[in-house]
Amino acid sequence: MEALLVARDITVVRDDRRVVDAATVTLDTAAIVTIQGGSGSGKSTLLRAIATLIPTSSGQVLFEGREPQVIGVIEYRRRVAYVPQLPQMFEGTVAENVRTGPGFRGVALSDTEVVALLEHVGLGPELAPRAATELSGGERLRVALARALANEPRVLLLDEPTSALDPVASRVVLDLLRALARRGTAILAVTHVEEHATYLEGQRFRMTNGALRADAAESAS
Amino acid sequence: MSYVEIPLWRLGIAALLVGVAVLLSRAARLELEKDLGLGAIRAAVQLVAIGYALRLLFAAEHPVAVFAVLFVMWLVAAWTSTRRLKHGPGTRVLLPHAFVAIGLGAFVALVPVFLFVIPPRPWFEGRYVIPIGGMMLSSAMNVVAQVFERLFASARTEAATLEQYLALGATPEQALAPYRRAALRAALIPTINGLVTVGLVSLPGMMTGQILSGTEPEQAVRYQVVVMYQLVVVAAVAGVAAASFARRLIFTGDAQLRT
Repeated sequence: MEALLVARDITVVRDDRRVVDAATVTLDTAAIVTIQGGSGSGKSTLLRAIATLIPTSSGQVLFEGREPQVIGVIEYRRRVAYVPQLPQMFEGTVAENVRTGPGFRGVALSDTEVVALLEHVGLGPELAPRAATELSGGERLRVALARALANEPRVLLLDEPTSALDPVASRVVLDLLRALARRGTAILAVTHVEEHATYLEGQRFRMTNGALRADAAESAS
Repeated sequence: MSYVEIPLWRLGIAALLVGVAVLLSRAARLELEKDLGLGAIRAAVQLVAIGYALRLLFAAEHPVAVFAVLFVMWLVAAWTSTRRLKHGPGTRVLLPHAFVAIGLGAFVALVPVFLFVIPPRPWFEGRYVIPIGGMMLSSAMNVVAQVFERLFASARTEAATLEQYLALGATPEQALAPYRRAALRAALIPTINGLVTVGLVSLPGMMTGQILSGTEPEQAVRYQVVVMYQLVVVAAVAGVAAASFARRLIFTGDAQLRT
């Protein structure tokens, strides 16, 4: 079976340094893949390169066998969603934030759809009219997830989704990711927390100085 | 035509006014004395020079001479509009874009007016083309500078937000739209304020000058109305063009933020 998303030999050179060095990772439908590594190891850069938000020096990304440029990068980003670490909330209400992505392609989500997306990430409907910029870190991340899910992506690229969260909120988000994967969304999550990677199960990678390799711990088991 | 002539020694009296500002600057420790002094001298030297240049130009009445002057003004306007920007790709990259944006604005404002509203005879008559052209170029210059300044500053300070718009499937146009709107509004508001307050708060320089040199106020007013309308279209066209160039410089062809 053809993989849903293939990132092959991705290399990002910045100031003569190979921040990402020929990293290869494959995602199938409903798969969870985690990448661990210290700060500065290049894992965030790899994620942003796969999201086509930064140029790569070499390598290839294929979604359903086609390059983002062939699909159209705008369309590609709707199918391969990227949620950064500490996501910015846009001006306006939580509901307006959730409506952003579909709004870009002229689709107006109904109130019911917005509430459903919020519920999906464990947030109550009472949050919808609140100003998004006044939310707590955990709420922001979940709104950012709902915002990304509003585009109905096939793949979620997540940069340290639990970094701003307390253990309880982290668990809620991790459970949500597992549930999303069960329903067919492929997830590629960067994390530096060992237990979170373990809890998510799935294939594990470790990134060191820009080089990505399958986690030895996992390969042994 | 009769008007009160200004001999040089009386010009000197007027210069004392700058002295008052210099004294105030010193008293308030604004440290602007040097800028004020140099600015006053530059203004006098530049204007005296353009005075002589205009006299030669009007005497020559040759289209090449008139358009050469206009071209230099255009170039200086473009250069000035990119010079003090704190963000963005720098003067060398921006200059050609500013040049085109200012040129587009001035072209749209000047050509129909000189064809249909104030047709000079001959069509290249410097007495009309140079001062009105200069006003348009200078207005376009300010608008372009402001649009560039604001958009490139936004691209830097709002990079994270812009990138998230892109990640959610925004086109560069869509991602930049709120910042573009704010920048264009800010650039157009002074011109609109000018429209609203003219005659109530300010009597514009050109009109005042025409009246002082003996033109019927009614005609002077009509000239001023034409110029004000021109200024509106200059600001709009140059501003929109500058915003469009800025967008292309802020994003790559693959809809990525340039770093």
